[in-house]
Amino acid sequence: MSDVLGGFAVVLQPENLLYCLIGVVIGMLIGVLPGLGPAATIAVLLPLTFGLEPVTAIIMLAGIFYGAQYGGTITSVLLKLPGEASSVVTVFDGHALARQGRAGTALGIAAIGSFIGGTASIVALSVVAPFVAGFALGFGPPEYTMLALLGILLVATISQGGRVKALVAAVVGLLLATVGRDGFTGAERFTFENLALADGIDFVPVAMGLFGLGEILHSLEERHRALREPAPIADVWPSRADLRQAGGAIGRGSVLGFALGVLPGGGAVLSSMAAYALEKRRSKHPERFGNGAIEGVAAPETANNAAATSSFIPLLSLGIPANATMAVIFGALLIQGVAPGPQLVTEEPELFWGVVNSMYVGNVLLLIMSIPLVGLFVRILRVRPAVLAPITVLITLIGAYTVNNSVFDIGLVIAFGALGYLMRKAGFDPGPLVLAFVLGSLLESSLRRSLLIFDGDPTGFLTRPISGTLLVFLLFVALLPALQRLRPRRTRPENATAGTR
Amino acid sequence: MSVPNPVADAETGPETASGPEPEADAKAGIVTNLAVAAVVTALGAAALAGALALGAGRPAQPGPGAWPAILGGALVLLGIVLALRARATADAERFGRTALPVLAALASMAVFVAVVGVIGFEIPAALLAFVWLRFLGRESWLVSVAVSLGLVVALYLLFVAALDVTIPHMF
Amino acid sequence: MTSRLRALTATVLALALTGCGGNLGDDGAADGADFPDRALTLLVGQDAGGSTDLIARALADQVKNDLGRPVTVQNRPGANGAVAAKELAAAKPDGHTMIVFPGTLAYITPLAVTPAEAVDITGYDVVTGISQDDFVLVANPGTGFRTVTDIDRAITYGTTGVGTGSQLTQALLFAQAGIKATAVPFDGGAPTLTAVLGGQVDVASVQLGEAQAQIKAGKVTPIVTFAQKRPSYLPDTPTAVEAGYTVPVQQSRAIAVPKGTPPQIVDRLRTAFQKAFAGQAYRDFNTQRLLTPNEVDGPTLLGQWTGSLQTYRALVDQYDINLAGTA
Repeated sequence: MSDVLGGFAVVLQPENLLYCLIGVVIGMLIGVLPGLGPAATIAVLLPLTFGLEPVTAIIMLAGIFYGAQYGGTITSVLLKLPGEASSVVTVFDGHALARQGRAGTALGIAAIGSFIGGTASIVALSVVAPFVAGFALGFGPPEYTMLALLGILLVATISQGGRVKALVAAVVGLLLATVGRDGFTGAERFTFENLALADGIDFVPVAMGLFGLGEILHSLEERHRALREPAPIADVWPSRADLRQAGGAIGRGSVLGFALGVLPGGGAVLSSMAAYALEKRRSKHPERFGNGAIEGVAAPETANNAAATSSFIPLLSLGIPANATMAVIFGALLIQGVAPGPQLVTEEPELFWGVVNSMYVGNVLLLIMSIPLVGLFVRILRVRPAVLAPITVLITLIGAYTVNNSVFDIGLVIAFGALGYLMRKAGFDPGPLVLAFVLGSLLESSLRRSLLIFDGDPTGFLTRPISGTLLVFLLFVALLPALQRLRPRRTRPENATAGTR
Repeated sequence: MSVPNPVADAETGPETASGPEPEADAKAGIVTNLAVAAVVTALGAAALAGALALGAGRPAQPGPGAWPAILGGALVLLGIVLALRARATADAERFGRTALPVLAALASMAVFVAVVGVIGFEIPAALLAFVWLRFLGRESWLVSVAVSLGLVVALYLLFVAALDVTIPHMF
Repeated sequence: MTSRLRALTATVLALALTGCGGNLGDDGAADGADFPDRALTLLVGQDAGGSTDLIARALADQVKNDLGRPVTVQNRPGANGAVAAKELAAAKPDGHTMIVFPGTLAYITPLAVTPAEAVDITGYDVVTGISQDDFVLVANPGTGFRTVTDIDRAITYGTTGVGTGSQLTQALLFAQAGIKATAVPFDGGAPTLTAVLGGQVDVASVQLGEAQAQIKAGKVTPIVTFAQKRPSYLPDTPTAVEAGYTVPVQQSRAIAVPKGTPPQIVDRLRTAFQKAFAGQAYRDFNTQRLLTPNEVDGPTLLGQWTGSLQTYRALVDQYDINLAGTA
């Protein structure tokens, strides 16, 4: 525990505090641009840190990390452009709130939720990290298969509209995730001998096309009748009532985020989905979700931030970075002569806890800064839609390019924009497609690895304690709505299921 | 759909603002619904065929096509379910002439992506912005010209001058 | 509004006139006189954080000083680097796009995939060799395996992907030792090692630098290394050859550019990389990651790699090994 406090002492040195602030600001500004996610942003700005002390450098990089994540939340809410997979769920209610003139409320609750989630997670990390160290190791391919399947099921819960159409969208998302070279055999799948597809399709063009661009295209059609007036900007900060309403969601999101964040690979995304689905399930009025429920923003934003913090645990216990961003950060450390590994915590406690605590301080800075900045960003919505649309489109197109520096990706984002428009017209919610796409390769590769380990025997899933438990839980979640539906009430088909569920 | 309550809004997603919704958002007929089901089925069948061509392997050694084959099969089934429910489906919008601006918008973006590698992003971006502002957005000539030029300059300063992004550029 | 706009336009025009040129034309730079005239890209066919990525970042950091332009590392993971290599082959041969070419892609992957999909190193210009990296077979301590002869049952082994050195070393070893073993491919070294730590697979062959922290902490047991001689860092672990198996497999890395890059530009790049190799920071990095420098010129490296390909092809034929996942 004294190491934890020592870490705070490190962070609170004025110089480190300053670089943390700089990192958060840069991260937020760049995170607002679609395409450049936290990992890319850090990689781009890495050289800036080479002249700094290792601790200072890493604090600044960590600042960029959550600054960029919050920047992605801002675009998710304002323009329906999620920059990161873990903020896809935020789009649903965040953007609906923005449409009602409550973007400030959404962004405010996201900042508060992130802060509380991060705080809870860091306290838990300091206290229980040694005990949950083995937790992540118990998760092998069979367990990840079950988690990913659970995620796909949650997708159906999360989505708007009819269940069959949500399933169609989810399966299409899973299919899109198979495009590219197969990691098990090297075979090219659905690439049509196009080199640009060999690497698979990136998340950014899919999400920005289906959500952001599809939305803009759809609104062009409405413009025929009447220009939609931008909603009046209401109270910038969440009211006491909002906070009360979101309180439970923030608490549960913190727990879910911490637990799932411990799992390297996919933890943050799954936690945001699970937190959202849980709130929707618990709610007496699930129909509010997707139409501006404040819990629908609070839950995933809290969870993904809690997960970002607890993803330090695998690193702490195993010396293995949990995600691409962590990998880049610790690659930077290595270049600076610090070797990350299982002994990092004991050999360099100041560094380790300095970094962890800097995430906490970063959250505080983020919360303080969001007060003036949210008001600023929200003004974007005062711009007339006719003017905002081409600006958004061009930033999206160029942003898509920046992901892989590929013109092909610009074409992809346009194609997915067209698909998003058509889906909307045909009554499909693009949400399940994007979320299933995110989980697709985790699901397939875990499933195939499991079958290899089990020598083709699917009962292997049942004989392992964790995967068996997950499987039972999964069946429960899957069958619950079917059982509920047995109650004789099915007057309005398809479009009304969201309301009657 | 003309009743602006949350449940009705849910039909087309949160993005549809409440308010008067004239006939352009009218429900699609059974033909559209069947066509959607057919597209889903066809997509599934194509995926299934492509996957089987890749080789499905066996349970102990799944091939590259095993998983896509499962997904393709699932899509075919879902497409059939959609077709069976076509008459009772009421969440699709009618396709019609209201889609013309959308086509124009897609065309403008297609031109952008086609020429950006050859002449850089500046001119196509300015043209795209102008078309969207003047013709799709019905802004005045002055606003259209000023905003499209200003936007390109801002994009240049941001992406090229400040961030050093490698997007093809002329200047 | 308009006056501010005018000011901005003037700024941009000024920028354009002062040599802030576009990046469209490929004319003029062909002779290499003004090379490099913009930021360079160093492609990495593996995820950020892995060995190859770290080497790329360590080098990029040094090389940019000599070239006077930023060198951006870009990760294009997929198929042991084939995706990135194919992308490089399609890039303009002007020296602004380079790759950290993993040797296993040149001399092991071709054994696993169809000839049409294989990447041929002679289709690139090699700037310089970088370093070699040894593989080590590690076991989960729970298995009780300490030597190859301890392995007395059918096992599962993790590989870092199809057509990687990790796969070949183990396929050769288990074929020669007569052990029934099932390969489970993961995406790179970190997930593979995690699977061994968690007991998801029994053993795995990973690069020494990736496993060193875990070995030191006693979380995995080293069984054999596939090095030419015992690494100074693991004096008590025999090499595969000492244990009686013919598995001379190493990872080697080189910097390559698209075929047809002007020789002056290749030379310019080689000079920049040699300066980077000489730097203390980079040498410390090599020591820390247990890498053996192999900073040879292009033709020497090509000789090494084509030799390896022939050796491995003969071994794979001899033991009738199928490296592709489908049986």
